[in-house]
Amino acid sequence: MYSSVVRLQNTFGFFTTVAFVVAAFVSLSDFLSPRTPTVNLLKPTSLQVVNGRPHYYSPVQQYGIIKFSLDADLSSLFTWNTKQVFVYITAEWPSLDSQNNTNQAVIWDKIITAPSSDHLAKYGPIERKKLKKAAVGKPIDPSRGKLVLKNQRYKYQITHPSGKIASQEDIVLKLHYNVQPWVGLLTWNQEQTWGKWEALKGATSKKFKLPAVKKKDEGKKTTKSNSRA
Amino acid sequence: MLSALGNPRQAAAQIMNFGLILSTAFMMWKGLSVITDSPSPIVVVLSGSMEPAFQRGDLLLLWNRNFLEETAVGEIVVYNVQGKDIPIVHRIVRKFGTGDKAKLLTKGDNNNADDTELYAAGQDYLNRKDIIGSVVGYIPFVGYVTIMLSEHPWMKTVMLGIMGLVVVLQRE
Repeated sequence: MYSSVVRLQNTFGFFTTVAFVVAAFVSLSDFLSPRTPTVNLLKPTSLQVVNGRPHYYSPVQQYGIIKFSLDADLSSLFTWNTKQVFVYITAEWPSLDSQNNTNQAVIWDKIITAPSSDHLAKYGPIERKKLKKAAVGKPIDPSRGKLVLKNQRYKYQITHPSGKIASQEDIVLKLHYNVQPWVGLLTWNQEQTWGKWEALKGATSKKFKLPAVKKKDEGKKTTKSNSRA
Repeated sequence: MLSALGNPRQAAAQIMNFGLILSTAFMMWKGLSVITDSPSPIVVVLSGSMEPAFQRGDLLLLWNRNFLEETAVGEIVVYNVQGKDIPIVHRIVRKFGTGDKAKLLTKGDNNNADDTELYAAGQDYLNRKDIIGSVVGYIPFVGYVTIMLSEHPWMKTVMLGIMGLVVVLQRE
């Protein structure tokens, strides 16, 4: 019994060592595959500000509603160690009181799974079938990184703790991504090129200004015609 | 096999050995804590709110220092809600202002709504001090052992017993 316990211990110890070394090599292999993400187009296509409140008893708040168009190619982020790429677009604007105070809010995001992690995601049956069909026989499917969106509706409205967002100037939209590996380090979009990973260029839109608050009946009309893409 | 118990000198050495193993593990944990400036530098994912990125039982490595830049929107952070001691792993989706007074809002990738409902009563946003680290590294599944141990407490007793026996009965 004594020696079998020791043997079991040694076997388990060896197994964990090997597993960790393999995992380390897999995660280091990320640095060998080039990343060349590009953004060809990112611009707001429709802007409005409406009044509303999060709860019945909350004070009235202004909500900024942004639609945008995007044309980006993130396909090079998909390698054998990519589990998912989380793409998100933020609206960023300076604070009223001081210029270096900034506000950032996500207006839209998307989880792009690699074919190897499709089974973990919350897809509807139709979307799942479509993804499966497109990725059949492919452990890596770079076509998923190509994003072309026209007049895309926001997922999250923008607000400010002060409750005021109307006529806000100097807002920009910015595209970001976060690569989630199967094992290893999480990485985000870079400002600078680093080794084989190129900086994300063109990810910031031109500065724009939000309009004044829209009247209630007008606002209703437009929200009705919006359709979820 | 039980000869060790007959020899008090050897028994004492083995108990010391056991203590050494425990204190080494503790020191490594606390050392990592100092390096990362986080009270809990390694956490195990307990819920599915960040799926498909993180599953239950995955191990996350945290970093809690702001050398080059502030904690920003898009980072996945582990935070404690005021007055509760349950760490939550979610992504920052809004940030108003900068520095210690910045107001942060989080959301789980797999959740439909943001975390306002999870925060304490009267707490609308998080501050930097509520965050105990940003996720920088990921190892899948390894932490599932701890979930098993906390869900089936008898396993904890059995495992500690086996570990103790093996260390005490092992001869150098």
